[in-house]
Amino acid sequence: MDTNTPLAQTDPVISDEEFSRFCEFFYRKTGILFDTQKKYFAERRITDRMHKLGCATFRNYFAAVRFEASGEEMQHLVNQMTVNETYFFREDYQLKALVDGILPDLAARRNNGKPIRIWSVPCSSGEEPYSLAIYILENWADADRHDIEILASDIDSAILAAAAAGVYGERSLQRLSPDLIRRYFTKQRDRSYRISNDIRDSIDFSRGNVVDPQFMRQFRAVDVIFCRNMLIYFDDQSRRETIEAMYDCMSPGGYICLGHSESMSRISSLFRPRKYADSIVYQKPFE
Amino acid sequence: MALVRRAAAQIAEDQPSGDLVDGQERWVADLASADASIRRRAAHDLSQMPDAVPMLCAHLANERSLSVRSIILTGLIVNKSPAVVTGLLPFLGSEDANLRNGAIEALQHMPDEVAPHVVSMLADEDSDVRIFAVNVLAALPHPMVPEWLLQVVLHDPHVNVCAAAQDALVEAGEPDVIPALEALADRFPGVAFIQFAVDAAIRRIRGG
Repeated sequence: MDTNTPLAQTDPVISDEEFSRFCEFFYRKTGILFDTQKKYFAERRITDRMHKLGCATFRNYFAAVRFEASGEEMQHLVNQMTVNETYFFREDYQLKALVDGILPDLAARRNNGKPIRIWSVPCSSGEEPYSLAIYILENWADADRHDIEILASDIDSAILAAAAAGVYGERSLQRLSPDLIRRYFTKQRDRSYRISNDIRDSIDFSRGNVVDPQFMRQFRAVDVIFCRNMLIYFDDQSRRETIEAMYDCMSPGGYICLGHSESMSRISSLFRPRKYADSIVYQKPFE
Repeated sequence: MALVRRAAAQIAEDQPSGDLVDGQERWVADLASADASIRRRAAHDLSQMPDAVPMLCAHLANERSLSVRSIILTGLIVNKSPAVVTGLLPFLGSEDANLRNGAIEALQHMPDEVAPHVVSMLADEDSDVRIFAVNVLAALPHPMVPEWLLQVVLHDPHVNVCAAAQDALVEAGEPDVIPALEALADRFPGVAFIQFAVDAAIRRIRGG
């Protein structure tokens, strides 16, 4: 169904009170909050799901979402409500938190010459790990005094191949200044842009699944994990298992950065929230 | 350049070689280690074994590290079973809030396994345990939850247990619970917060 079509006369009606109750429930489960400006967006998607399930009333649909043991409908709804788009310097306030707070903290505690290890998972088509590399080189004054490893993983081999190729359209580069594009990319004949070999070759791409213990055991002593906008698509159990596995991958005092609509408090109490710049990140205790 | 490349596979090779030695006896011994990371690893491996459930539940009661507790609870959720529920239910009466809340959260992931215990949970002589049982129900994805909560609202003698159930019941918001809410207000006429909560809930359900 076209989600942009206006509500039809026959569409089920969701009262303000029902919508308010739904918002509270959805926020508690996912951390995603719909303000009044997003009401139409959310209602449209709820009514789409109601049509698909044949629910005549919102009350019936909400009961299905609320009490279904498999959680399948809840997941459908989450998928409908979230938008998956990636580009360079996305959510750059977290990159600012990285260079203004996280890296200086890690560097201050590092006196053994070991590299600072950053892991981007899922890395999708590569915009995130390359953004990390560029942002660090451009904005962290101490970058040259430390070895920095950037690891990048994804479950999808096709998207990983695209990441390793490092070729992007203008839309992906929209947040970068012309100067950064000039210095870190080469324009191709088809108007796409290829990331510089230095940056591309500095990142290790690997394919794997975060819920696979064998895969996760490869990663140890990771100082910062960027895991943005992935866990929102997992069910509660997988989310919990993944966070437990990431905990074991990390150095004491290491950090996890989640997506803007994700909150660790809904997954695990293992990590301590820290505020750097305008960003909340989560730190593994020094147990 | 500050960026250096290292393959994930190479990182794995840097780990101590004894790290991956398996075996139940070893894991049981490791569960008593002074090193929390070793206990975490042992707990994770033991949680894959159904016959280790009683041992892990018993260990939970004495485990001080929150990260070890957490991985035990996650393992129990993944391998949920009637035995896991039996092992976790006693923690509803624990004085340790972290352990109790961990057990509540874990039980919420096991609707089919918890269901046969709900009636006895809600009949516990300790009203605090009944409140925590209601907390389990509040996020238990099971179609009987509204009915269980309704029975608490109608019959539980303790006002705080009823208040917790009323709170959870109202989220589902079916108008047919209104008579039960009115009956609750009648059962505790001198309790101001119940009168207020029932009025607010009924207004909300009616969309007023």
